[in-house]
Formats: sequence, C-alpha cells, structure tokens
Amino acid sequence: MASENGNSNAPDSWDQDIKDESCSTDANELSKPLSALNVNAPAFVPGKNVFAREFVPKVSPSDADETSEGPVESDNSVPVAQQDTENMDAVETDEDKGGGKDQEAVGGERDQEIPDEAWAEGEDEDVDDGLEMEGLEEGDAGMQSELQAVAIPKKKDANKGPPKVKKEHVNVVFIGHVDAGKSTIGGHIMYLTGQVDKRTLEKYEREAKEKNRETWYLSWALDTNLEEREKGKTVEVGRAFFETASKHFTILDAPGHKSFVPNMIGGASQADVAVLVISARRGEFETGFERGGQTREHAMLVKTSGVKHLIVVINKMDDPTVEWAEDRYIECRDKLIPYLKKCGFNPKTDLYFLPVSGLNGAFLKEVPDETICPWYRGPSLIDYLDSLPPISRAQDQPVRVPIVDRYKDMGSILLGKVESGVVSRNQTLLLMPNRMQVKVMTLWSDDEETDSANPGENVKIKVSGIEEEDVSPGFVLCPIDNLCHTGKVFDAQIVILEHRSIICAGYSAVMHIHSCAEEVTIKALICIIDKKTGEKSKLNPKFIKQDQIGIARLEVNGGVICMETFKEFPQMGRFTLRDEGRTVAIGKVLKVIE
Amino acid sequence: MASNGVDGESNADRNVEIWKIKKLIKSLEAARGNGTSMISLIIPPKDQISRIAKMLADEFGTASNIKSRVNRLSVLGAITSVQQRLKLYNKVPPNGLVIYCGTIVTDEGKEKKVNIDFEPFRPINTSLYLCDNKFHTEALTALLADDNKFGFIVMDGNGALFGTLSGNTREVLHKFTVDLPKKHGRGGQSALRFARLRMEKRHNYVRKVAEVAVQMFITNDKPNIAGLVLAGSADFKTELSQSDMFDIRLQAKIIKIVDVSYGGENGFNQAIELAADALANVKFIQEKKLIGRYFDEISQDTGKFCFGVEDTLRALEMGAVDILIVWENLDITRYVLKNHQTDEERILFLRPDQEKDKTYFIDKDTGVEMELIEQMPLLEWFANSYKNFGATLEIITDRSQEGAQFVKGFGGIGGILRYQVDFQSFNPDLEALGEDYDLDDY
Repeated sequence: MASENGNSNAPDSWDQDIKDESCSTDANELSKPLSALNVNAPAFVPGKNVFAREFVPKVSPSDADETSEGPVESDNSVPVAQQDTENMDAVETDEDKGGGKDQEAVGGERDQEIPDEAWAEGEDEDVDDGLEMEGLEEGDAGMQSELQAVAIPKKKDANKGPPKVKKEHVNVVFIGHVDAGKSTIGGHIMYLTGQVDKRTLEKYEREAKEKNRETWYLSWALDTNLEEREKGKTVEVGRAFFETASKHFTILDAPGHKSFVPNMIGGASQADVAVLVISARRGEFETGFERGGQTREHAMLVKTSGVKHLIVVINKMDDPTVEWAEDRYIECRDKLIPYLKKCGFNPKTDLYFLPVSGLNGAFLKEVPDETICPWYRGPSLIDYLDSLPPISRAQDQPVRVPIVDRYKDMGSILLGKVESGVVSRNQTLLLMPNRMQVKVMTLWSDDEETDSANPGENVKIKVSGIEEEDVSPGFVLCPIDNLCHTGKVFDAQIVILEHRSIICAGYSAVMHIHSCAEEVTIKALICIIDKKTGEKSKLNPKFIKQDQIGIARLEVNGGVICMETFKEFPQMGRFTLRDEGRTVAIGKVLKVIE
Repeated sequence: MASNGVDGESNADRNVEIWKIKKLIKSLEAARGNGTSMISLIIPPKDQISRIAKMLADEFGTASNIKSRVNRLSVLGAITSVQQRLKLYNKVPPNGLVIYCGTIVTDEGKEKKVNIDFEPFRPINTSLYLCDNKFHTEALTALLADDNKFGFIVMDGNGALFGTLSGNTREVLHKFTVDLPKKHGRGGQSALRFARLRMEKRHNYVRKVAEVAVQMFITNDKPNIAGLVLAGSADFKTELSQSDMFDIRLQAKIIKIVDVSYGGENGFNQAIELAADALANVKFIQEKKLIGRYFDEISQDTGKFCFGVEDTLRALEMGAVDILIVWENLDITRYVLKNHQTDEERILFLRPDQEKDKTYFIDKDTGVEMELIEQMPLLEWFANSYKNFGATLEIITDRSQEGAQFVKGFGGIGGILRYQVDFQSFNPDLEALGEDYDLDDY
C-alpha cells in the first residue's frame, strides 16, 4: 500500500484503508464484465516443477457460486492453453504498483468529500492536485489490476499430498458490548460450518443446562476457559476458523467487558473485517451504546486498528421484546449510523447492517422463512462475508509478523498475523527489537501445517534459536536484510477522544501499537493542528484538550519497541492511548526519533 | 485549602511545616563531620531540661578524656554549644525538642559550625543522645511518615505489583511477572490436560501473590498497613481475596476491590484513582484533586490560573493568588542583586543552567557586575513569605499522574487565582524549555 510506492506525495490519511475498500467495492461490480476475461484462471509460476500441481485457481468472489462445486477439480485439468492468459495476468500484476498509487490519490480525493472525517483533514493539503486528477482518470485501470492481482494463485508446495486450495484468508473480529452475543454468534457459525461437531455441542448444551445457563452453550465453543464459562464472559480473545467455498476465515472473538479492552485491542489488531454485534433487546442496546458502553469504544478501536469494513449485526432479533420487529431494527441502525460515521466509517461503502439471531442461527448461514422476517431479504452473515471484495495484501513487501502470543510446546511457538511478505519454512528471520536470529521450523496457518504463509494469514510459527522467555507480545519478525524500525522516542499525531481535564507534557498512558502494549509518556507537545483548516498552529502549546488534534513527542517508558511511521506501514504506525480504562487518544507515528 | 476555612488553613500551614522539616532532614543527612563530633539530641515531651543538662555535663566529663586533640576539642565544643542552646528553654516544649550540633565539612573542605534546635510539629516519642560523624535523623523521618499507610496489590495475568501509599508518597515495594498459559485452543485429546495445567499454574500464581503479600505487609506478626486495596483486571483479585491461602490478618484489612484494565504501574495509578473515596484523607489523593482542580480551571479557560515564575509572582504581588502550587523539587533560585553604581536592587529567578551564565549578573546598561545580596531557593522563599501575599502554599510531588503533568508541562509552579487576571506577557522563561521543532517534517 503506502509503502509500496514510497511516494511522499501520496496522501497519507487515516482513511487510506477505506478508500481501498471503497474502490474494491466498485471493482466488485466491475468484475462482472471482467469475469469474461477468465479472471479465475490459474497463473503460471515459472521455475517450478512442471509435474507438480502448482496452479491453484483462485476463485474470484463474484464467481464464487459458479465455481464452488470444486476448484480442486479444475486444478487437476489445467489446460496448457490457458497459460497465455496466465502470463497476461502476471504482466498485469506488475502494473499493480502503479494502480495502488492511483488509488491513493482517489482516496485522498474522497476524503475531502467526507466532512466528518477529522482524520483526513490536515492531510489533504499534501495531496498533489495533478496526481489527484491523474488518479481519477486512471482509477479504473488501477482497480482492475488490483482485482487481478488478488486473483493470482498462491504458490503451493508440490511434495505435500493432495493439494489444498489456498483460499483467501480473512480475519474477522467480533466486537460489541458485553453480553451482546459475540461468542454465541461465533460458536454458532462454527457449528453451522462444521467446525464443531454436533456431539460436542450437545455435551455443552447438557453441561450448560446443569448450570441453568442454557443459552450459553454456543459460546462455549469459543470460551474454553473455566472462568469464562462460569461467568459467561470472554476474557481472552478466542480464535477459531471456518471456511466457505472461496475464503478462509479466522474468527477472533473479542471480549466485550470493559476490563478486558486491552485483550480486545490485541484481537482487533489482527483483523481485516469487524463484525459489530448489537443486542436489539430492550435496554441492552441502550446500555451498550451509552457513554461508557463498549459499543462506541470498540467501534472506534477497530477503526484505529486498521479495520476497513464493518458489518453491524443486530442480534437477538428473536428475543420476546423484539420479535423481529422492523422498527426496532431501524431504530438501532439509525442511532448507530451517525456515531459510526464519526468514527470514520463511510455508511455507504464500509458499513453493512443485517438482523440476526445468534441463538437460533437465523441469518447466520441460512436465510429464514419470509414469515419470520419479511422486511430483510439480503444475504446472511456468512454469505455476505463471503462476498466481500478481496483485500489487497502487501505480498511483495518485506516480512512483518507482529507477535501476539507465544508458548512452549516442544520448542518456542509464536503466534501472530502476517502483515506483509511471505513467511516460509526454513526461512531465517530476525526477531526485533532484540535482534535475535530465529529459524522457522514449522509453520501452521490456522492449525494446518503449511510451508508458506501469505499476508493476512494467522500463523503459528515454531522457531529455533530462542527461548520462549525471550519473546514478548509486540515483537516483530523481520527478514535479516530488511529490518523494521525500532524506537523509544517518536513524534506522533494524536487526537484526544476523551479526557476530562487537560493533557500536557508529563502525561503517561498505555499505548497499544500493533500487538504491543507499553506505557508511554508525553515528553513535549509540538503543535496543535487546527481541525478546520488543517494548519499547524500554536507552536509548543502548553496543553491539549479533548477533541483537539496535536503533534506530540512521546517516549516509551519500557524501552525500545518496534514501530513504523504511518506513512510507510500503517499497520505498525497507528496506535491507541488508554488510561484508567478509557481510550484517551488515537494517533499515528510520524517520525521515529531514536 | 483556604476556602475550607480555618481548619484548612492550618492544614496547609502544617504541610509547609512538614516540607521545611523534610528539607532540613535532607541537608542534615548529607552533612558529614570530623571524628565523633556531631551531636544528635532528641528530648521527648514531658522530660526535664535539668536531667538533660546533667547528662550533658557528665558527657562533657567523659569527652575530656578523648585522646585525639582535634576530636576532643570539637566534641567538647559541640557539647558546650548544646548546653548553651538548652539554656534557652526553661521547659521542654509540648512536642519535644530536637537539637543538632556539630562542625560539618562543606563541599569546599571548609569547616562550618551548625547548631539547630526546633520543636517538631508532632509529638516525638524518642529519647536520643548520640555522638557520631553524622547526624541521626531516623526518628524524624519516622515522624514524617503518615501513620495511615495503605497497601495495594495489583495483579493481572502478566504479573503482580505490591505497593504502598502513605502521605504523598507512592511506593512500589515489589513486582514480579508471571507467564500464565493463555487460551490457545491447542490440545486435541490432551485438551483437558492443558486445561488442568493452566488451572494449576493460575493456582500457583495466586498462592505466590498471597505469600509475597504476607512478606510485604506483615511485620512482627502484625499488618503494617491501615488498609489494603486489591486491584486487577481478571478474576484474580477476587480469587485472592476469597482464597484461604491469603492471610486472614490481611483479609481483614481489605477496604476495596477495584477493577483496573492494566497491571503494573499504570494499574497501580488507576487503583489509587478508583480507591480515592476510600482513601480520601491521604495527602496523595488531596494532591491529585488539587492539581485536578487547577487543570479544570485551565481546560475551562476561566483565566483564574497562572503558571510560570513571572506570571505567578506578578499574580502574587497583586494578591490574586488563592492557592500557590509549587513542586517540592523546584530548582529555581531567587537572587537579589544590587548594582553599586545606581544602588538599584534587582531580583532574578534562575534555573541551574542559567546560573552558570554570568551575563545575568551583569547590569546591561552599565556593564557592571552586580553584587549578590541574597540567594535562596525559590521554594524556600515562598515557604517563608507566602503569608504576606495572602495565599496558601501547597507543595506537591511529581509522583501522581497529575503531578507529573504539572511539573513537566507547567514548569512545576503555578497557582489558582481568586479572580481573572490577564497576563499579556509572553513567558520566555518556559518557552525556552521546548526544543525547536521543524514543523515541515510532519
């Protein structure tokens, strides 16, 4: 993305991701005529064993239904004649770089259209007008090439048994207020997609019944800890996965309780798409949405952690106080939209609303009978997730894997999401910021052993060369020749969201950046940015208040951590400041000083 | 605080008093003398002067047998001074009497005779007579410590922190980290085994915290704290409070259990904040509230605040300052200089780095080096003269979040005003603190 072109002229905005998304949504429509061009043909990867099954067709989302009978079959009979088109694909991929840049420009332009975007302002002036125009003209071409780029099949190891299709990997995080039904929906989806067998679920149901907690049994598929089950509250982020015909999804089930927001941020940092679960039950929606409710905070946090697409599911529609009432659904939706808009989600392109029932599974996979819900006839949650446009990944970038967790199991095992680059087995990587050399011994992508992992995949890596104690969450795996930046002191642009008094130098809070959480102190305030004009006014201000934007110099108290400037690598350049159980500010790294 | 009436007034005065003694103790602790000529004498209330005088006379006799001439002379000299000092009192004051006397060696190697006597602000229950090469201030330090000490245990999945809060000191006694297994969803057929291992580890962790808590908060089989606050993010704190591994003596001391989202220092701060209502009388909380109020004035832009040396002094002279807030370690020195030629006096406030700059001591118009008449730390000057300005002096620390902000962001000096004052002047003093940034970089 931004780092790809390394172009300082490119607009550097918080909505960088939105516009990618919005462009691709357009692209989705475009793909219909494109499908005639044999988009889903496998690409030719030179330098591989000819007899090996290298060519794995990548199903384009729009065609998912047609090809879903068996992409593997078509793989077996790759006609040689197709190679021409495949080569064309490869050529077009090369154009992707250019396309990416153009989209940046388009995005920048889009930002100006959205007046509510506090973030975007102040950045827009950076946009080169000429580039912007150019971008508009070439925007279509860029989108096309992007679409093709994603359609490139991922390389597969030839020696492994029957080839499994590497589907596009999407990380979905479930967020929302406590008791909205996140885990239940997650559990139900797993059941519907066959990840949890009926027997286990029946066992859970029985056990739950014994505890007079009948409605909780579905969430037990994700809440595995004893205390989580006992209280019915998720504490740590639950991880699971399921597959559809064209995509592979990792479910991240975030805790909704106020005290566990730090855990939730860890989960959100790995997500591509977020599902905001709202309880439609009378009273529950209201408490969740009030100040202090987690609905607001979570929506804001996923936005800052780089989630581009938010699906809002209005849950508990089957509840006796709701009974699939359309006006309740509309009431919830209309109350949410203005706030989500303020968070930076574009209601037209980034948001999707649908009613569901996590408990009986309505609109999760199957669309229920018209008698139940005559007013919503759209796709179900899984279908919608499946139809989402592909997410552009930085595949040809240097490897970056922020470590979320680690444990010992016959060696040190690291957990994380591949943010960019391709990790493969026997690769030697450097663990930053301590510069420890590690070798990838085994690689699992969602519990399945693989030989390489592409960006977006949630991986478990067994490494040699270090002890488990030497690693902490927030470390980053980098290639030896291309290290990520590390720093202790950095300048950042911050937006104060909520703080009762003033913030001045000397203020300390906990910073969440990618998967890392460290205490930071504001060393100095450099300037305040005018929200309206985006001009940098007032040099060296004494303090900064709620709803103001400023640039500050921050120091990490704990020592050196990995970070990148937002411009170069947004995923590792945006952060959240939290203190006293509240999200005080969000920000982005502008410059790493030392 | 002044608005609280007479009671509040005396409370603030008392705090200033405490600060003065603190400063004294610091200077006494640093002092070193020759041989055993430094006399520390503490007389508890209701003792008799004559008894002490007799004891000193006896000591005088013993000391005259000291072999080393230098040492003998200095010890005898010191005892004589103490005797003379004691004569000034006809009876022991209600709170007891403290006398320090001796010849200290200054940094430049010069000898300086010190003779200090004062009545402590609170009854001192120690009887002490010691000749040593340093002054003994332990009894005074104990006097300063607030009797209400509160213990804190902050535990979460990553580690535990043990701390205390007493007066305005927040102290971390101990902290350790643990590595608890998280939820990995691993296992397959040994999933139950992993679950069990996990439970065991968590149990051991609670046990360890309970044991360390006993080490930290129980001395001589008695809790050394007035109350205990448990804080944590997950269920550990409730588990701990209910567990039978947790000492019953400590269990009885639990005053509050609070939910914090982080462990470590940040959790400690948050726990203090959340337990504020239970700890209302602790100075630390009062300090936080005071600075919070000051910040509120700023954020509401009422104009009833000032910061920086110059603005504050001007406000003081106007009599506008209601509460003067100064950081306890403020290192600005007040200089009174005199120009010989014009007989004009000038007052300067300089930071340590400015003191080295000789240009401040030269009169710009005439080019004459000015004579130094008086030099004292600004805070001391405030402590001596704040009453003349009708203000209340609050000396704060930088240990709380607010305190740290006040010190770093506002230079550690400021005040809440009675009425709005318009400060036109630009404060170059503090502006110089900020570095130059190139805004085009961003």
